[in-house]
Amino acid sequence: MKAWLVLETGETFEGTWNGGEDRAGEVVFNTSHSGYEEIATDPSYLGQIVCMTAPMMGNYGVDKGVWESRKIWIEGFICLQLQKTTRDQSWMTRLTEAGIPILSDVDTRNLVIRLRSGGTPLGALVRAETSEQAQQKSRNLIEAKRGLDKDWVHIASRKETEDRSGKNMVGPRIAVLDFGSKENILRELESRSSALRIFPSRASAEQVMSWKPDGVMLTNGPGDPADVKVAVETVRDLLGNIPIFGICMGHQILALALGAKTYKMKFGHRGSNHPIRDDLLGMIYVTSQNHGYAVDAKTLPTDVKVTHVNLNDQTVAGICSETRRCLGIQYHPEACPGPHEAQKLFQFFMEKMI
Amino acid sequence: MPRRQEIKKVLIIGSGPIVIGQACEFDYSGTQACKALMAEGLEVILVNSNPATIMTDPEIATRVYVEPLRVEFLEKILEKEKPDAVIPTLGGQTALNLALELHSRGILQKHSVELLGATPEVIKAAEDRELFRNILDKVGAKYPASHLVRTYEHGMAVGEELGYPLILRPNYTLGGGGGGIAYTPEDYQSMLAQALHESPTSEVLVEASILGWKEFELEVMRDAPGTFVVVCAIENLDPCGVHTGDSITVAPQQTLTDHEYQAMRDEARKIISEVGLQTGGANIQFAVHPETGERVVIEMNPRVSRSSALASKATGFPIAKIAALLAIGYRLDEIRNDITKTTPSCYEPALDYVVTKIPRFAFEKFGGAKDQLTTQMKSVGEVMGIGRTLQESLMKAMASLEGSDEAIPEVLLSTAKISYPNSRRIWHLFQAFRDGKTVEDLHALTGITPWFLEQLEGIVRFEQSLLSQYAKDPEAALKAAKKLGFTDARIAKVLGLTEERIRTQRREFGLRPRYQQVDTCAGEFESSTPYFYSSYWPTASVSLGVKEPVVVIGSGPNRIGQGIEFDYSCVRGVKAFRRAGIPVAMVNSNPETVSTDYDTSDVLFFEPLTAESIDEILHFTGARGFVAQLGGQTPINIAPRLVQAGHTLMGSSLEAIDLAEDRGLFTKICQELDFQIPNSAMAGGIETALAKESHVGYPMICRPSYVLGGRRMEVIENREELLSYFERHKEFILPEKPCMMDQFLAGALEVDVDLVRGVDWCVVGGIVEHIEAAGVHSGDSMGVLPPQRLKEDTCSRIETMAIRLANRLGVIGHLNLQLAVKDDVVYMLEANPRSSRSVPFVVKAAGMPLIDLGVAAMLGHDHERVQPAKYQWRSTNSVAVKGVVFPFKKFPEADSILGPEMKSTGESMGRGSDYPEALMKAFLSSNMTLPPNGEVFFSLRDKDKDMALLLAKELLKMGYRLSGTAGTARFFEENGLSCLSLKKVHEGRPHCVDRIRSGEVSFVVNTTTGRRSIEASFNIRRACTDYNIPCLTESDAAEAFVLALQNSRKGLLSVSPLSRAFEVS
Repeated sequence: MKAWLVLETGETFEGTWNGGEDRAGEVVFNTSHSGYEEIATDPSYLGQIVCMTAPMMGNYGVDKGVWESRKIWIEGFICLQLQKTTRDQSWMTRLTEAGIPILSDVDTRNLVIRLRSGGTPLGALVRAETSEQAQQKSRNLIEAKRGLDKDWVHIASRKETEDRSGKNMVGPRIAVLDFGSKENILRELESRSSALRIFPSRASAEQVMSWKPDGVMLTNGPGDPADVKVAVETVRDLLGNIPIFGICMGHQILALALGAKTYKMKFGHRGSNHPIRDDLLGMIYVTSQNHGYAVDAKTLPTDVKVTHVNLNDQTVAGICSETRRCLGIQYHPEACPGPHEAQKLFQFFMEKMI
Repeated sequence: MPRRQEIKKVLIIGSGPIVIGQACEFDYSGTQACKALMAEGLEVILVNSNPATIMTDPEIATRVYVEPLRVEFLEKILEKEKPDAVIPTLGGQTALNLALELHSRGILQKHSVELLGATPEVIKAAEDRELFRNILDKVGAKYPASHLVRTYEHGMAVGEELGYPLILRPNYTLGGGGGGIAYTPEDYQSMLAQALHESPTSEVLVEASILGWKEFELEVMRDAPGTFVVVCAIENLDPCGVHTGDSITVAPQQTLTDHEYQAMRDEARKIISEVGLQTGGANIQFAVHPETGERVVIEMNPRVSRSSALASKATGFPIAKIAALLAIGYRLDEIRNDITKTTPSCYEPALDYVVTKIPRFAFEKFGGAKDQLTTQMKSVGEVMGIGRTLQESLMKAMASLEGSDEAIPEVLLSTAKISYPNSRRIWHLFQAFRDGKTVEDLHALTGITPWFLEQLEGIVRFEQSLLSQYAKDPEAALKAAKKLGFTDARIAKVLGLTEERIRTQRREFGLRPRYQQVDTCAGEFESSTPYFYSSYWPTASVSLGVKEPVVVIGSGPNRIGQGIEFDYSCVRGVKAFRRAGIPVAMVNSNPETVSTDYDTSDVLFFEPLTAESIDEILHFTGARGFVAQLGGQTPINIAPRLVQAGHTLMGSSLEAIDLAEDRGLFTKICQELDFQIPNSAMAGGIETALAKESHVGYPMICRPSYVLGGRRMEVIENREELLSYFERHKEFILPEKPCMMDQFLAGALEVDVDLVRGVDWCVVGGIVEHIEAAGVHSGDSMGVLPPQRLKEDTCSRIETMAIRLANRLGVIGHLNLQLAVKDDVVYMLEANPRSSRSVPFVVKAAGMPLIDLGVAAMLGHDHERVQPAKYQWRSTNSVAVKGVVFPFKKFPEADSILGPEMKSTGESMGRGSDYPEALMKAFLSSNMTLPPNGEVFFSLRDKDKDMALLLAKELLKMGYRLSGTAGTARFFEENGLSCLSLKKVHEGRPHCVDRIRSGEVSFVVNTTTGRRSIEASFNIRRACTDYNIPCLTESDAAEAFVLALQNSRKGLLSVSPLSRAFEVS
C-alpha cells in the first residue's frame, strides 16, 4: 500500500505501508546499526518518528529481554527495507500490533540529508494514493501534536513510586527521579546499590530525602527540558545536599537547576558512534547518544566544569561540580543500544561521589 | 599526544610477491601508509621484492628498495639507511615474521631501531596460539577446545580425545597454510604430518570443530592512550569451516542483536588491551553458535590485513593511513576524518548501505585440484559490491565477478555443490531456490543463517514472477528488478528479450542508477569525498563535482593472469592524467587495490566492470572518454559495447585492437610486413587435423579456440599424441569451434616487448628475455632485462619489427608483443594492444615511465612535446630478473610442472650489477631456498641430458652430490660422473620420492615431456612442493639456478635503491 511521510513544511517522502495507524511526531534519525528494539522502547523517543539510517531492519527478530521499558514509545518507524518473511516478521508485528506505523522503501538517505540540513520537523506517516492526499491527511495529525501538553517527562514517567532491592548489600541507597527511564539505567543501579526507590518526575525534594537516599539519579526522558515542570525545583533543592547523577534529560534538568540554559540542536545526536572526551575518567571513547537538546556551556556557573565534550561538534557532553556534588552526562552510559565504555561512570558515581 | 618528533626516518616492510592469502591488499595498505608518513615530512624507506606494486614506484617513498625480503638483506638496508624505526604491521604476516626475526637475532637492538605498531611480544601473542589462549583465559573469552601439538604421536592422541572432524592450524603460516579440516582419522594422519612440517616452529593447534557456527570479524583500532574503535563488523555468509578469505562476507554485520554485538565488541576491546597492542589496527574473528549464542574467539591479527582493506573500502575509514599516523605518536582524536573533514577519527563508521565481498577462485587452472573450501585459503582474488540492501550489494558483487553478464545465470543443480562448500556454491544456492528448494532445506544442507538464505530466496521468487509482473506493468516490474540488483542481461534472459531492448525500455522509464556517496557517517555530516556507488533505491544522485572526466576502467578481481600489475598501470595512469590537468574517474570492483583508494583519483566509482555499469557511469559523469588499455583484458572486452553505445575510447581505436586480437587479421598483417610466424592451421576434427599435420609439423601446440589463459593447451610431439588430444578434448572441438594447431618452436628463446606509440613517435620500453624456453607461459617464465643471450643485432631487429607492427596496427598507447627467436630467426607470436603484465617490471627494471608515456600518447601529445629520444631502455646499468611464485602448495592434487597454461600468482624482482646476482635475488625473492650443499637429484628427458652434464660437473665441483633415476644416473656415470642411482616410483621402494621426502635431497632437476612421463613423475614434483625443495622443471631454469647458487656462495650481499624514474610532462 502506498504511504507517505509528510513533513510540516509540506515535503513528502514516498514509501510502503506495513501496518499501524496514521500518526504524527517529530521526525528524527538514528545511525545505530543494531538495536531497533531498544530504541523503540526507550521512553526518550516519546512523540518521535524514528528513521533508521541502517537500511535493513528486523533482521534478528525480537527479544522482550532487551526492552528498555514496558512499551513502545516511538510514534512511527521508517526504514529502507523491513524483514517480513514467513519465518520471521516479528519486528513488524510487534510494532504494528501496538499501532505504530512502519514506512519502508523510503529513500532514507535523502530524508536524513533533509533533516541534517533543515532540522527535525514534525511530520506524519499516512496512507494515501497521492502526495496531495497525504498532505491533506497529515495536516490535522500534525496540528494535534502541537496542542499537546509539553511536559513529556511527566507523560513518560512512572506515576507511582516503585521500590526495587539492589544486588549489592553494602551498596548505597539510590533515589531515582524517573523522567522516562530506560530499564538499563535501573539495572546498572540495581547491580551496584542496596536499594532503589523510583520516584515520579514531579516528586518533591522532601519526598526524595525522606527515604534517606545516599545518592540521587536523574534519568533520561523525552522532550524539551525547558517544558518540564517541578523537577528543576526539586533538583535545585537537592543540589549540594546529596550526590546527584543525571543522564541525558537528567543532565539537562541538572543544568537548568544549576542555572544554566538548554537549547534545541539542529538535528540532535542519535546513534551509537559518537566520540566523547571524558576528562573525569581520562579517556576518549565511543558512546550511545539520543538527544535533541543540549546544555549551553556559556551559561554554566563557574564552579561547574564541562568535563565531557562531544568531539564531533564540541557540544557539552557532561558536566561535574565537586562543590555541588553533581555529575551530568548527556549521552548514555547505560548503552542499550551502543558501546559499553561509559558504563564506568556508574562506578565513578558510586565510588567517588557517594 | 602529538607526533613523536624524534622519529624522522622509518622503514616499511612490504609483503613481497602476491601469493594466495597475501595479495595486493598490502600494496594498498603500504602505499596509503607511505603517503601519510611522507605528508608528515618523514623520510620513508620502503622495501618490497614485488615490482608489480604501486608502493615500489620511486615517488611513493623517499627511497625504495626492491630487494629480497630476507633478514640478511634487511640488515644491509638498516645499515645503509639507519632508520629510527621499522613499521612491520603493513606488510602482512611476511613483514611481521621478518620483524620478529630481526628482533630475535638482535639486529634491531644492534642498530637501535625501534619497532612501531607492534612489539615482538604482541606479534608472538597473536601468532603463538598457546600464548594467545592464555590471554583469552585472562579476559574470560572462550575458544574452541584444542591442544597444541608438537609431535605426531601427541597429535594422534589429541585426535582421539577431541573427536572428528578436527581443524588443524599450524603456527606462523599465512593464509592458514598447511591447515585444514580432517573429517576422518585417515585424513588426519597425513594432514597432521604436513601441518607439523609447514609450521616454522613445528607447532600445530588441533581444534575441535566449530563447523556450522556463524562467523564474524571485527576490524578494530586503538591508539596509545587506549581509545578503541570498531571500524567495521563483518559477518560471513558461509558458516565456520571456510577460510574467511574464501567466504562470502557482508558488512556491517546483519544478524546479531545489539546485545550480542556489544558483548563481542567488549571482548575484542579486552583482548586487544590484554595482548598489549599499543597502536594500530587489528582484526579479531569470532564464531557464534547459531542456537545457543555461545561465542568463541578464533584468532586475531595485530596488523592491517585483507579484511582491514575490505573494511576500509566498505566504510571509507582509511585504516592503514591511520595506523601509520598512530604508530608515530598521534592519537585517534588528533587525526581528522578525511571524508567528513570536520569530525575526528575516534568514531565508528555508520553505514547506510550494505557491502558484500565474494572471493574469486582459480581451480580450473590446477588440473586435478579438488574444488572444496576449507580452513586453508584458496581464492586468488575478490570483488566487493555496494548496494542499499544486502540483495542489491550481493547481486552487484555477483556481476563484478565477470563470470556472466547475467550475474546469476542458471546452472545445472548439483546437491553436492551445495552440501560441501565450494567455489560454485552461491550459484547452486540460487538454482536450488529456482528448483523449488526451501530455506529450511538449504539451511539443513549448508548451515547458512536462514536470514541470508531468505535474501537469496527473495531474489529468486521475484525472478520467477518477473514474466507475469512485466506483462502487467513493465515499468513497475523493471523498477523492482533493478532494485533487487538484477542486471539487464538477466532480466532479458528471464523475459526472453534482448538486453538492448531492456536497456532501451528501462531508460524510457527513466530507470537509471543513482550515485550515492560513501561518507562514513550515514549522511549525518556533510562530506565532499568523491567516493561513489550506484543504487536503484535512491531518488536522486549526489552532484559529482568534476566535469568531463576521463574514465579509467580497472582490472576487477585478481585472477591468475590479471592481477596487481594492471592496478599498477591504472593508478600510474590516473596520476599521469591528473598531472596533465585532466580530471579522472576510476572504476573498479576490487577492494584490495590502490586504485580504489578514495584519494587516488578525482572521483572513485566502486562498481562492477560490466558494459552496463560502465555505460551508466560514462553517461552520468559526462565523460570525455574512457581508457581501456590499462586494466588488462577486462576493459578491452567491454570496449566495443561502450563504443557502440556512443562513448569515446581513448588511445588505440577498436579497429587497431581488432587487428591485434583477431588471429586471422593479425596473421595477414604479419605476412604483409614479411614477419616470420609459426605455421598454423585450424581443424574442426581429427580428419582435418591429420590433413594439416605436415603443414604445421611436429612438435605443435594444440588448443581449442575460445579458451582463455591457455586452458587445454598442450604440446603435441607426434601423431599418436595428436590422436589422443582430439579424443580427449572432442567436446571442445567442433567444426564451428575448431582446434588451433600451431608450430611449436621447441627450444626457442621467447621475449616480451612493451612499447608505447604516439601519433608520430614510438618508445620501446624494453625487451624481457624469458629464461625458460618456448612452451612455458610468459607469465610463468622467469625473465631478464636487458637480455643476456640474445645478440645485440637480434634485439635491434626485434625493436624494428615491434615498431613497424605498432605503426601498421595504428596503435595509440600501449602495445605488448611476444616473439620467439630460434636459429636466429625472429618469429612474431602475439600482440596485446594494451598495457601488459610485464609493464611494471619493465618500468622498474629499465627506469622507463611507460605508463606516463602511454597517457601522453592517448592525449595526442606529439613528438616534439614528448621527446621520445630521451627514453632509452638500454641505458640501465643494472640487470633485473623477474622471479615467479606459484600456489601449488594450496592445491595438493596439482602438478607443479610448467606449461602453456599460466599458474603463477605473483612475481618478484631481483636487481643486481650482473646476471648471477640478479638471479640469486630473484630466486630468494620468490621464496626459493638456495641450498649451499647436499644432494642434487636429476631426472631428465633425453634432449636435456647433454646440457645437464655440464651442470652436473659444475655442481660436483661446487661440492654437491648427485643422484638420479636409473637412466640419468647411468648417463652421468658413463660420462665419468659419480651419481647415486635411485628407483622410479613404480620400480619399488625405497624410491626417489622416498629419498626426497626423507629430506636428503637439496634440490631437484626434473625435465619431462609427454603426458605419460609427466604423470609418472608427478610424485617427484609434488614431494618437492610439499617440502619446499626447489624443483626446476626446465633445463634453462636449472642453469639459471646454478648461476644463482654460485653467486650466493660468494656471500656478497649488496642492496641499492631504485633510481627515481623521470616523469613525462
